[in-house]
Amino acid sequence: MTSSAVPYNLNEIGKFFLLSGVWLGIIFGAVWAACWAVGMLVPQLILNAYPNDPCALNVANAIRLLTPLVGVMVFIPINAMYMVLAERRGLALFTVRKGPNRVGPDGFLQTAADAVKLLFKENINPHGGDVLMFTLAPIIFFAPSVFGAIPLLAAVTSNHDLFKIVNLPTGIFYVLAMSSIPVVGIVMGGWASNNKYSLVGGLRSAAQAISYEIPLVLAIITTCFLVGSLDVVNIAQMQKGTDNLASFGFLNWNFFGAGAIPHYLDLLMQGKLEGAQVVTSAFWSLALAFCCILLCGIYLTGACAEINRIPFDLPEAESELVSGYNTEYSGIRFAIFFLAEFTNLFIVSTVAVVMWFGGGATPFPGFLDANTFASIATPFNQALAQAGLPPLMDGQTMSGAFWAIFKTYALVYFAILVRGTLPRFRIDQLLDFGWKKLIPLSLILLLAVTYIRELV
Amino acid sequence: MSVELSSPDLKTDEMIINMGPQHPATHGVLRLILTLDGEICKHVEPVLGHLHRAQEWQGQNRTWFQYQALIDRVDYLSGMYTSWAMARAAEQIDGLVVPKRAEYLRVILSEMNRITSHLLWLGTYLIDLGAMFGFPFYPFREREKLFDLFEEVAGQRMMFNYIRIGGVLRNPPFGWFDKLKRFTDEFPDRIDEYEAIVTENPIFLKRTKGVGILKKETAMAYGVTGPCIRASGIPLDLRKTKPYSVYPELDFKVQTMDGDGDTWARYMCRIREMRESNEIIRQAIEKIPGGTTEELRKLLGTTGPEKDESKDLDPSFLLMAKKQNAGLRVKAGEGFAAVESPRGTIGCYVISNGSDKAYRFKWRNPSFCNLSVLPELLVGAPIADIMAIFGSIDVILPDVDR
Repeated sequence: MTSSAVPYNLNEIGKFFLLSGVWLGIIFGAVWAACWAVGMLVPQLILNAYPNDPCALNVANAIRLLTPLVGVMVFIPINAMYMVLAERRGLALFTVRKGPNRVGPDGFLQTAADAVKLLFKENINPHGGDVLMFTLAPIIFFAPSVFGAIPLLAAVTSNHDLFKIVNLPTGIFYVLAMSSIPVVGIVMGGWASNNKYSLVGGLRSAAQAISYEIPLVLAIITTCFLVGSLDVVNIAQMQKGTDNLASFGFLNWNFFGAGAIPHYLDLLMQGKLEGAQVVTSAFWSLALAFCCILLCGIYLTGACAEINRIPFDLPEAESELVSGYNTEYSGIRFAIFFLAEFTNLFIVSTVAVVMWFGGGATPFPGFLDANTFASIATPFNQALAQAGLPPLMDGQTMSGAFWAIFKTYALVYFAILVRGTLPRFRIDQLLDFGWKKLIPLSLILLLAVTYIRELV
Repeated sequence: MSVELSSPDLKTDEMIINMGPQHPATHGVLRLILTLDGEICKHVEPVLGHLHRAQEWQGQNRTWFQYQALIDRVDYLSGMYTSWAMARAAEQIDGLVVPKRAEYLRVILSEMNRITSHLLWLGTYLIDLGAMFGFPFYPFREREKLFDLFEEVAGQRMMFNYIRIGGVLRNPPFGWFDKLKRFTDEFPDRIDEYEAIVTENPIFLKRTKGVGILKKETAMAYGVTGPCIRASGIPLDLRKTKPYSVYPELDFKVQTMDGDGDTWARYMCRIREMRESNEIIRQAIEKIPGGTTEELRKLLGTTGPEKDESKDLDPSFLLMAKKQNAGLRVKAGEGFAAVESPRGTIGCYVISNGSDKAYRFKWRNPSFCNLSVLPELLVGAPIADIMAIFGSIDVILPDVDR
């Protein structure tokens, strides 16, 4: 352990990046291929086989409608596998260990092996437990997170034709409404396990979810209020900046005051501000940006609590409650709980990206934007066109998906880092923090944003 | 530390929870029968003895030589101290004077052992507080280095069997003192690192300040020793209050904490003790008669790390005052010796009838006495604090149950 300038575990960090690259390639290659097959290839083959047949047209359209569903279904299990592996390797990096590095090449297949193992394990029903509710609990925990995520697909693919249908005018409310259902699953699982630790874990989860959903929703409402839209696609698109403001890149994101700073800079450069206005406008723009950063912080804190991650993982506090609500679960049921936990982490990160970090917008104008990806996609599409197949990618969607994924995983890694750093709250401190600090703060911010918005 | 969660209209019932013996956070096989009102602990009953191995009885049925190897396992995180207590008790009966160099080696290795023990405590305590995968592993980085040093000198990483009746087993190999010196140079920086992450961490402070307050009077009444009582403000440290070995020749302070004696004080006390132990090691390396092994060889005019410590030189360079063999005998008589272990006072009372086996052994184990104060601390605490308090006492279950 010499204190040289180069980190001694540079090698491990390199391996971690390699692993992430390979897995992300697998995930998005698979999802892209599935979406392309269902949304473009199969409908076109049907139409080619039965030209001018209205029935075939209906069938083809129906299959196209399935694309978002298929995309999500392919994405979730593979993504959860990668996230578990990334979390274990990432934590190992933070704690001077190696992490799983035995199964497959350098541990790449560890979670795949774990998944297979869990599938083949026995489903144990606890003695005296309510079997029906015990079985339903993981499903109720998992299903909403899948359905809740669907509107976000339109936002992260720049409103691609295939995903347009899943967009809702009130998309973000739908996402929030769905994300509050899983707690029912936790309480059910805790109660049905006939285990005191599980019961305490389930009840804690209910208390925690209620207290932290309020600041979380308030933070999102405030931002929607600032942006003036509930439509996730709209919110994401607006953060690209309109007209001449687009050149300011990441300053357009809601994180930096929902366009207040570019607006100010633009006016300043055009020389439309005079005298004291230069200072006051700057002040209010920065104040709005500060409010937005705080809102994002509140959202991330609330989201951490909502998905039971350290430092808010009280429902499954290992040192107190063994494993909390999932103590009695085994086999596939446990796997579903596990899967849902990581999917939820991904979804809350995506919501944060769409709401604050510009969705699919590139942070620097011209850097890896739609044109760059279009130039990559053109040869593929030409080759496919020669074979008589539909085009595989278009630059706009590729760029949007790439940046949305990049930002989402940045937030996921941030969550892993937090997990590697902080101890756990106590339940009463947690509730105090939620009710006495976060809720007043988010209400104050709602008021502040209302006024500052007019002054900018 | 109590939280009001009750209301007169609400019908509530008490819930009994069995925490342990199979629970991820009870550090072994302790069973706590908790009576909970909501999340508040109303009554605690520790159930001991799941790990009872009849260590005292075994001592009476094994030769001194065998038992010396066995006794390390009682407190497996600080094996040096149990061996040392037993060795001192037997030396007292025999009237042996342990050579100076051996005493210094005992001090150096014991203080190293104190550091490893506290480091492990630090890691597991943070796990208890829910820092599940984070910094608990950092302490193991330093601990591994010390274990490597232990391995070089004692041949074992945890069950050393290094301190024997009449001295210590062998001289450290060449280069060992240099490595240790390098460790002592960098270790304070490492503690600074831990403190940077932990001591000022707001969540950690919230979880530990004012939690599990152990008052001076309670601590004295229950016979609490070690860092737990020093954190409550009583400077009870046998190294100072009843000096033994070469501790009087070394310059160090007893670390006590002002204030309530909450879990934070116990944490802080251990952190300071690690720094102090590091200082002791540094001094002992300088003061050891004969110096490092290389210097000693030069002095004795022999080469190679072989035995035969040349009988006619300064007796303080010797390692053993008694010949070690399987038929080792101790004169008839009785003796009591106590040493300051990382967990408190380890006392060994032994009666010998002059044969190769002891007639009677009686151990005073710090973990057992410290654990007895647990119900006092836990009543009124919420369930989440149970592990924060229990962990801060730092008990080792084999040491409790023997």
